[in-house]
Amino acid sequence: MNLNYAFMISDIPVVLKALPVTLELTLVSLFFALVIAVLFGICILKNIPVLKQLVVVFNTFIKGIPLIVQLLFCYYALPYILRMFNGIAGYEYDPRHPSYFGFAVVAFAFNYGAYLTDVVVSSYRAVDKGQLEAAHSVGMSTFQGLFRIVIPQAVVISLPNLSNYFMWLLKATSLASVVNVFELLSTARASTAVNYAILEGYLVAAGIYWVVCIIAERGLKYLNKKMNRYQKQLFVA
Amino acid sequence: MWRGHELFISSLPLLVEYIPATLFYFLVPTVISLIFGALLCSVRVGKKNLLYYLVSLFVSFFRGTPGLVQIYLVFFGLPKIFAGFGIDINRWDAGIFYVIATCCNFSSFVSEAMRGAYEAIDKDQIEAGYSIGYSRWQCFYHVIAPLTMQIALPNLKNLEIDLLKGTAVAYVIGVVDVMGKADKIISLHRGYGQIWILLAAALIYFVINVGIELVFNGLTRYFSRHERGIV
Repeated sequence: MNLNYAFMISDIPVVLKALPVTLELTLVSLFFALVIAVLFGICILKNIPVLKQLVVVFNTFIKGIPLIVQLLFCYYALPYILRMFNGIAGYEYDPRHPSYFGFAVVAFAFNYGAYLTDVVVSSYRAVDKGQLEAAHSVGMSTFQGLFRIVIPQAVVISLPNLSNYFMWLLKATSLASVVNVFELLSTARASTAVNYAILEGYLVAAGIYWVVCIIAERGLKYLNKKMNRYQKQLFVA
Repeated sequence: MWRGHELFISSLPLLVEYIPATLFYFLVPTVISLIFGALLCSVRVGKKNLLYYLVSLFVSFFRGTPGLVQIYLVFFGLPKIFAGFGIDINRWDAGIFYVIATCCNFSSFVSEAMRGAYEAIDKDQIEAGYSIGYSRWQCFYHVIAPLTMQIALPNLKNLEIDLLKGTAVAYVIGVVDVMGKADKIISLHRGYGQIWILLAAALIYFVINVGIELVFNGLTRYFSRHERGIV
């Protein structure tokens, strides 16, 4: 193996500059995925007649098709949809500068929203029903009971799953390089255009992903431990 | 947006032809990874010697980096390694590189799923196996393997579905499966009706996934047959 080690070292800061884009893509997608998941979750938990079935069918379909197909689909379909909104509410469609980042976010948000819906539903159901009744019994309204008693517990229950999906999403954002988003992987590829040391560029990208994943995993493990502190048992001799 | 729907009908049979290719890129890594993953798992649950740390590093790398990056690394790196030995593999089919990358990736995930399951099984069961005179191999075959499989199956199902969806990524290095063919049809039509071609591909992937789901439901029933009551 004769790798261009000098280039690899000089390439690290160049590729690292794109790390914020990857993290931004991850966090923004996760945020919208959570919004979608909560909305879908409400449809399922409240048993809203037609919406519930629609959500289930939609989620099943989303889970059954590859993420890359969804990304490409958004990449091709969203410009058409944006064009429909041209001139509505002062929005001007600009065909020369499509927001590839936004298209990728839509694809990731719907894909992970489908998975997170299950997390939302299952963690809400995992909270004991007696908790809400207890909240009522001390004079809280349903709203107060939900936001002060039930949801904080549901969040703690969902945290291991959420952090799992966060890790998946962090790695999945590399797929956005296929649809013209300039995140870590495509930056690594572009940075090798000067000397065609493409393997070295990908090795640098892999190393950065590895380190970020290890740090994120450690951090999330710590967070899980912190959040679960109320479940710690007292030492009983 | 709605023009080009006839492409959905016309590209569907073209894509269906490549289902065997997709299934090949799905089944070959599955079989290899189940064996290789079990080996990795057996190291990971054993003594902490040098091999343990090497395998841990391997698993950590392949779980901590995106599959796409691994595919690129194998695609560009393996020919360089082989060139060091004076062997030219640049003419190999892209599918081989994909299979190698995916086997490394998937066996890491399988080994973790199996390790979790192995640690969850009741160790008294193994002792009970030895107590009735089973050899190590018999104990593995009759006690450890079925119990581990039963616990690992739900995880494995999710992983297998992810693996099938992952095969769609292979088109970036030029593998021709359902997605690769869809990509070719798209470039053939130059910016016309891509959505419909992608929908056709999505439909095919969805149907295959439903098939995998059904197979795994059957397997789950089979492995938990001792838990079923007699009606």
